[in-house]
Amino acid sequence: MSAIRDFIGLVGDGVKANQTLWLLVFGFALFPIFSYFADLPFWNDVAMRIMLLGMAAMGLNLVLGYGGMVSFGHAAFIGIGAYCVGISQFYGISNGWAHLGFSIVTCGLAGLVIGYLALRTSGIYFIMITLAFAQMLFFLFVSLEAYGGDDGMSVDRGEFGFIDLYDPLRLYFLIWCALALVSLALMFIVRSRFGVTLRAIKSNESRIEAMGLSPLRFKMVGYVISAVICGIAGTLFASWQEYVSPDIMHWTRSGELMIIIILGGLATLAGPLLGAIVFLLLEESLPMLLGAVAPAYAENWMIIFGPLLIMVVLFGRGGLTGIIDRLSGTRGNADHKAGPR
Amino acid sequence: MTLTLILEQAFNGLQAGVTLFLVAAGLTLILGIMDVVFLAHGAQVMIGAYAAAAIAAATGNFYIGLLLAVPVTFASGYLLEFLLIRHLYRRDHMDQVLATFGLILFFNELIRIGFGPAALYSDLPPSLSGFVEILPGTPYPVYRLGVILVGLACAIAIHMFVSRTRIGAMVRAGANNPEMTAALGINIKILFRFIFATGACFAGVAGMMLGPITAVQPGMGEPHLILSLVVIIIGGIGSVRGAFIAAIIVGLVDTLGRVFLPAMLRLVVDQATADGAGPAVASMLVYILMAVVLIFRPTGLFPAKG
Amino acid sequence: MKKVFMIAAMATAVAMAPANAETVKIGYMTTLSGGAGIIGKQMQNAVELALEHKGGKLGGMDAEVIFVDDQRKPDVAKQLANRLVKSDRVDVVAGVIWSNLLMAIHKPVTRADTLLISSNAGPSPIAGEECHENFFSMSWQNDQTPEAMGKYMQDAGIKSVYLMAPNYQAGKDMLSGFKRYYTGEIAGEVYTKLGQSDFQAELSALRAVAPETTMVFQPGGMGINFVKQWKQAGMDGVSKLYQVFTVDGVSLPALKETALGILGTQSWSPDLDNDINKKFVADYKAKFGGYPSFYAAQAYDTIMAVDHAITTSGSKDTDKMRAALAKGNIPTTRGVLKMNSNHFPIQNFYLRDTVLDADGVVTSKVLSTVFTDHADSYAASCKF
Repeated sequence: MSAIRDFIGLVGDGVKANQTLWLLVFGFALFPIFSYFADLPFWNDVAMRIMLLGMAAMGLNLVLGYGGMVSFGHAAFIGIGAYCVGISQFYGISNGWAHLGFSIVTCGLAGLVIGYLALRTSGIYFIMITLAFAQMLFFLFVSLEAYGGDDGMSVDRGEFGFIDLYDPLRLYFLIWCALALVSLALMFIVRSRFGVTLRAIKSNESRIEAMGLSPLRFKMVGYVISAVICGIAGTLFASWQEYVSPDIMHWTRSGELMIIIILGGLATLAGPLLGAIVFLLLEESLPMLLGAVAPAYAENWMIIFGPLLIMVVLFGRGGLTGIIDRLSGTRGNADHKAGPR
Repeated sequence: MTLTLILEQAFNGLQAGVTLFLVAAGLTLILGIMDVVFLAHGAQVMIGAYAAAAIAAATGNFYIGLLLAVPVTFASGYLLEFLLIRHLYRRDHMDQVLATFGLILFFNELIRIGFGPAALYSDLPPSLSGFVEILPGTPYPVYRLGVILVGLACAIAIHMFVSRTRIGAMVRAGANNPEMTAALGINIKILFRFIFATGACFAGVAGMMLGPITAVQPGMGEPHLILSLVVIIIGGIGSVRGAFIAAIIVGLVDTLGRVFLPAMLRLVVDQATADGAGPAVASMLVYILMAVVLIFRPTGLFPAKG
Repeated sequence: MKKVFMIAAMATAVAMAPANAETVKIGYMTTLSGGAGIIGKQMQNAVELALEHKGGKLGGMDAEVIFVDDQRKPDVAKQLANRLVKSDRVDVVAGVIWSNLLMAIHKPVTRADTLLISSNAGPSPIAGEECHENFFSMSWQNDQTPEAMGKYMQDAGIKSVYLMAPNYQAGKDMLSGFKRYYTGEIAGEVYTKLGQSDFQAELSALRAVAPETTMVFQPGGMGINFVKQWKQAGMDGVSKLYQVFTVDGVSLPALKETALGILGTQSWSPDLDNDINKKFVADYKAKFGGYPSFYAAQAYDTIMAVDHAITTSGSKDTDKMRAALAKGNIPTTRGVLKMNSNHFPIQNFYLRDTVLDADGVVTSKVLSTVFTDHADSYAASCKF
């Protein structure tokens, strides 16, 4: 019994230290009620896309924010996860749990191989070698004619037993559950001995080595976990989009994930989710806003978006979670340790 | 597959390589000395191409376009460093990625608003559209030969400058140990601005030379950015010599791989598989090359820091 | 952040005031931002011109077109399609330049019992096994244009051809379509990198083979690069160049005289001799300056199709419009179009030359009709 009480205590502590994250997750659970009464069913779709990209960014943040490994190729894992659905269905396997299983195993293995090779390097070299692997996979899928090449393949939503994803909101809450579980898992990982060591490696690798631990092993584990999380996001992304194509693993998507994280706040649990919300809503609303001011230039919204990103870097240190913490004066994102130097 | 064809393809690879080097030369110094992950270097290529094409169209003279595009790109690099980049020196790599990615969006959109979304018209003047016989029976476009010569001249100039002059010595020192160089009382600020603008200028030269042979359109610099990053990584960050050798290697591997790999695969596997796999592997070739180099030499072939 | 969300949500709520029963709503999806923005702009111009020609009414009903920018990203397209269907509650979703985007929005739109009319993309799965009764094409199936090229070159008695296309799905479709009608010798088949900007190495290899003819598919910016480099390398003396989707209204302003004399096939041309086309081309040139591209013509035809559907059926009801469109007889810039059983048009394909018009502007001109009433080859495998 005391184990359970300990567990609840742990969860409580974690939630207290990451209020923003859990507020957001809670908000996503209630969002369909709002969209129902406001008669905005389409916004559920936007919310799903935000949750999926947010989830992938949370996975990437484990290596990028906490581990200090700047991976520029995590879109590849989203792509592998998505193709696990497409290719499975191509061979007649329509069970969604099976897709998830394949995705976890495949992404885990891919993460292991890529991580093993890439982690020999560091700094900018690491950025580029991860990009190289992602590009290789991108071109591989572009040329796989059997699976549609770059035209991609239509997929059906996975069959999750008694949950029929074609019923309204089933897919929404499946994605939400995944988001909540990933949030919970990452919260434990970050607060565990492993997470603390990972962060210690980021700030001083040789000290960890001197303590007799192998930094490489910790980094590898982190890399594989983050690959798997991106894979899960990719699998659900395929069901959401009902379509997979290599576009999902284009290098600009890896860049997008990085931007989402920096925007939200590096090495915070809430940051990636908050970043995804703001990033995708800006993408959604900037053309509209610009169109209202200068209709002729509505499609040139990136001329505002670009400088906006620069502003975030120059004036918004620590990203959005940093700003929230400063404004509220609390430490609602206490796991925020290492901001930009 | 005759010897002359292989030689001709080697020429093509060389031409691709020197163009790549012009883009990579500035970037490797920006990465190596200033430690800035500058993703908007492709925009400098685009600015060079647009400046040359627009000036040529306005004046009706191709050469005036080429001549004036050089100071334009230098000035744009100088301004950019002054307005934004100097604020990024002490920042995280991640911050630099985000800010310079924002710059890419901004520049592409600016060009799109200024010059319209369509590709700009640009072509060679008649005086440059002739051929030279580089090998018996193999005519080669004069202009492309010119590109090779200009590229090599720039490479020699950069090499002489870095290895023979006082500023060059500072640059080398900066690449090796930036903190120490600053501590020696060298005006790092001016040095950085100068290097940045020069690097932008070389990328601009690459852009203006590419203008007449490729489509001058918004976003034309991005493919060059990715490839030049590959070059820098293979060569070793901060090493101009490394960038040159790597650029030639990448140019040759990419060109020869594209042309000969499908044919070579056909010797090993059946035609259908070869036709499918050949182009796919050829697209991946430079990335495979980079990954292999990094696996065995995690800091590139000629690391500058040490 | 909740606040931001609320404001954004309210903005859409205001934008979608309840629709008048007598208003037909069209959601028009195209690529307006980014590198392909020029194509989207031309399509948008053509749609607006079509509405102007119809006095703002389609089939007598007030018409409202909502333009959305897909950014050439499948996930953005899918989300926008859902917004058009669920939130704006449009009667027709139309547009779509790219095959992969059409694949991404095909299911959500057709399932919602909304008509989906493509102004350009026509991938083979949607023409064949994955076809849907709510989908109509106002362009062509991807294979058809190269089929016409193959037919022409076969009939012209050309002995050998060297093929070149980018290494992606459309490139492979194009070459297989070509080979369906051309049975002569293939001197070489080269797949280039997608987005490649320098073709000098491929041209050197081609020179070594010195084939009688060369047929390329290099759309967009790649086409500009290819044609420039082809001329600069003096390849005209080595081989005769034929193309599909490489020299078109979008790339011509960047190529100008460089493209003169290059032959290609297409189902539309600015000089097609019918009243609708004459009016379209003349007014487009007067209003926007410069020739429209085939993308623009097909966008114009898309609006013509909606007009036709409502006029003949007297309703904007999906079932009735579908029945009207399936019957064909649609007046367009390509004449009166017939419809195949898979809802792709049965139409003529022409051989076009690149020439100077009376004002010295580079444009294309019909030389001959290659196919009369050409149907695509996937209709048989389409069962609604």
